[in-house]
Amino acid sequence: MLNRNVNYKVPRNLLVLFELMALLLLFIYDKDNLDKTTFISGISLIFTIYISNFILLRISTGDNYIFLIVTMLISIGIIMIYRIDKTIGMKQVIWVGMGIIVFFITYFIIKKIKGWKDWILVYGIVSIVLFILTLLLGTRTKGSINWISIGRFSFQPTEIIKLLMIFLIGSYYTNYEKYKEKKYGSYYLMGIIYVFIGFLFIQKDLGTVLIFYTIFITLQFIYEEDRKLILYNLLFFIVSGLAGFFMFDHVRIRFETWINPWAYIDNKGYQITQSLFAIAEGGFFGTGIGLGHPDFIPEVHTDFIFSAICEEMGIFTGIGIIMLFLILVYRGFKIAISQQDKFFRIVALGISILFGIQAFIIFGGVLKMIPLTGITIPFVSYGGSSMLSSFIALGILQVASEELDLEEVQNE
Amino acid sequence: MNKELKRIIIVLVGICILFVSLIVYLSYFQVFKAEIVKKNSYNKRLWINEEKILRGSIIDRNGKILAYSEKNGETYKRFYNYGNLYSHIIGYSYREYGKVGLELEYNNTLLNISESTPLNELKNIVIPNTEGNTLKLTIDHHLQEYSRELLKGRKGSIVAMNPKTGEVYSMVSLPDFNPSSLKEDWNNIMEDGDSPFLNRATSGLYTPGSVFKVISTIAALETPELNKQYECKGSTKIDGYTLEDYGGKAHGKVDLEEALVKSCNSYFAEKSIIIGKDKIGEVADRFMINKSISFDLPTKKSSFPYKENLGKTDIASASIGQGKVLVTPLNMVLIASGIGNKGQVVKPILVKETISPEGTVIKANSTQVISDGADVFTANEIKNMMVEVVKRGTGTNASIKGVRVAGKTGTAENSSGKSHAWFIGFAPADDPKIAIAVVLEEDGTTGGKTAAPIARKIMIEALNTVKE
Repeated sequence: MLNRNVNYKVPRNLLVLFELMALLLLFIYDKDNLDKTTFISGISLIFTIYISNFILLRISTGDNYIFLIVTMLISIGIIMIYRIDKTIGMKQVIWVGMGIIVFFITYFIIKKIKGWKDWILVYGIVSIVLFILTLLLGTRTKGSINWISIGRFSFQPTEIIKLLMIFLIGSYYTNYEKYKEKKYGSYYLMGIIYVFIGFLFIQKDLGTVLIFYTIFITLQFIYEEDRKLILYNLLFFIVSGLAGFFMFDHVRIRFETWINPWAYIDNKGYQITQSLFAIAEGGFFGTGIGLGHPDFIPEVHTDFIFSAICEEMGIFTGIGIIMLFLILVYRGFKIAISQQDKFFRIVALGISILFGIQAFIIFGGVLKMIPLTGITIPFVSYGGSSMLSSFIALGILQVASEELDLEEVQNE
Repeated sequence: MNKELKRIIIVLVGICILFVSLIVYLSYFQVFKAEIVKKNSYNKRLWINEEKILRGSIIDRNGKILAYSEKNGETYKRFYNYGNLYSHIIGYSYREYGKVGLELEYNNTLLNISESTPLNELKNIVIPNTEGNTLKLTIDHHLQEYSRELLKGRKGSIVAMNPKTGEVYSMVSLPDFNPSSLKEDWNNIMEDGDSPFLNRATSGLYTPGSVFKVISTIAALETPELNKQYECKGSTKIDGYTLEDYGGKAHGKVDLEEALVKSCNSYFAEKSIIIGKDKIGEVADRFMINKSISFDLPTKKSSFPYKENLGKTDIASASIGQGKVLVTPLNMVLIASGIGNKGQVVKPILVKETISPEGTVIKANSTQVISDGADVFTANEIKNMMVEVVKRGTGTNASIKGVRVAGKTGTAENSSGKSHAWFIGFAPADDPKIAIAVVLEEDGTTGGKTAAPIARKIMIEALNTVKE
């Protein structure tokens, strides 16, 4: 009995072992100011993750790997963030705790409430309201307006709109036959997505535009029967890319610093070159936690956390993280393929693509493989709204991994 | 459904390709690019590691501290005790301006950084290295100060060394700069047409003029069939080109010794045609011309391109150190040393010892013969001739009472119109303790008049004060 139990739980136990060792390393690195609260929060985080994995196994009949993969990513991220800045690290622990709660809440809400596929108007209207609120109340950071501050709390509405958009596309294609009959029915979706993209252009948040486009085009590629629309979309993509390049200075700068950052090393190319130094210094096995200097990279705890991980844990860990994302995306696609409900199938695909493309854009960016776009790595970077929205997405994916009620399937 | 599944798989494959390309790129970067990227001077990690280590001091042969570091808040500050005096030897080490001189060449030693092997890195984690090694130079601080004092106000270089051990006692190059106030002076130094950053002693290439005749003389001595007699008429025509003696003075009947003593241009010009460029070139090679001299500082190669297709006039002017011959002062002092040291050229040494923070000597540079310049008999013959030069020839200003001094003067014509004044020599001639090369760049005077007295003073001072 015991034997079977242990075998059964092997990945979960391995994760705990990894986390305990990481915590120990952190303490060795920081032995001069041992801190009770850090220790307690570290242990309680490990416990929370363990219990969550355990509970999930009991309550969900679906995929039990995606949460495990995500908690692994979170563990690596927190270790790095804590090592860079303790207070931010502690905040991240709280965000993760809240994220896990949000994950379970989302899981139950999505599962209990029926009829998600029919509320296309709600998704559209809420998104547009959020966009308008962003423009009215938003603050500008790094050239883009994408934050709303309410009191001490600030969040990025686009994090929520991403998911609303996936729902919107999902319900559109689930009810595809219905729209197709109407005049210009096949242009409805394109119209509304382009309204979103228009708003993003006004906010100058081109990183998010890229994510929206990718999700839209791939889902369109899979489900659109009017193939010429995909072509239109690609044309629009190229046109808006060029427009972004000529309209916005910060896009041009990103492009120039991608071509040759060394020429601008002491100004606009500073961040990316510092990132490359960090990765180069790390080598294959890294300098060891606390022995590198990732703090030389501006904004290392959000967009550039991957470079910091490569410096101190080596590119083997970096490759490990890339692989974890690949497995996460793969599981997401597997979930989609086995899901009978068309709406949740599309949503599962959308969320997997979201995780995948977001990770790819920022990994490629900090490596200088593609032009840098300032976005966060889901689950790894520091950031409240990114963490929460990623957990909401994961909660939805968890639901999508289950066999849903028969009546839902019959409705299709 | 089937179509849908196919498309889903296509998208999945696409995403897999993207992720795999990330892994490939990351590995490619690490294997092929990382080493170059790391070395970029904007990589602050290079500095941060250094700034945690107390950079070692640099002391002279008698233990006088020339440069040292001191804790200044979180980091260390470098102090150069004697301003300009060691600008071309020690150089400087600054975050903004980089490093030159021994600070550059011995950077790892001064910081006690061992080569990056896994074992060393592990060792460094367990016992972090916090203090660098001290460099003990062969330089004698007093002689260095004295040499610079004598050269002051002129351009040029002085190198004085022990011809037997290779230890360099003083090495001056003017103009120089002050490493302590580099920040304030940087722009002026960069704009200065006299290139204060150039270490003339090791990297200044000068026309040697008549000091090169010692090479021609050795070549003549090694050519037994050569008729050593000559009737000097004050000038000679080679291939229709007239070579004049200094001031057009006719020396009359001269043999090889007289030719060297009186620095007779016509003699060497005529005889060099018979000796041939290859013989002279071979002797030059043995005395390190056309060879790179391994030294504690970077050196330039002196050159006599005898393997090129040289005409008779080229050979004739090369034999008297004009035309295509270019030498560094360091090379010239090695020639003098080699002759003084029974024909054997020793490797010049600037760093005598490396001393660990605990005070033990971890590395000592020992004397090393780098070339057989001439055999003992030839060396003895040329030495005796050089003694005559100082006794009764052009180099009388270098003579020291009670000490036999060997030397040769030179007055080198060059494109600037003002000649370089040269003197090379060593003393005491039969058991030399000091060898010297002095060059006064574009001084417009003769070597015998200006360079020889300076050499004399330094030789006296060295013989009296330098402790071996």
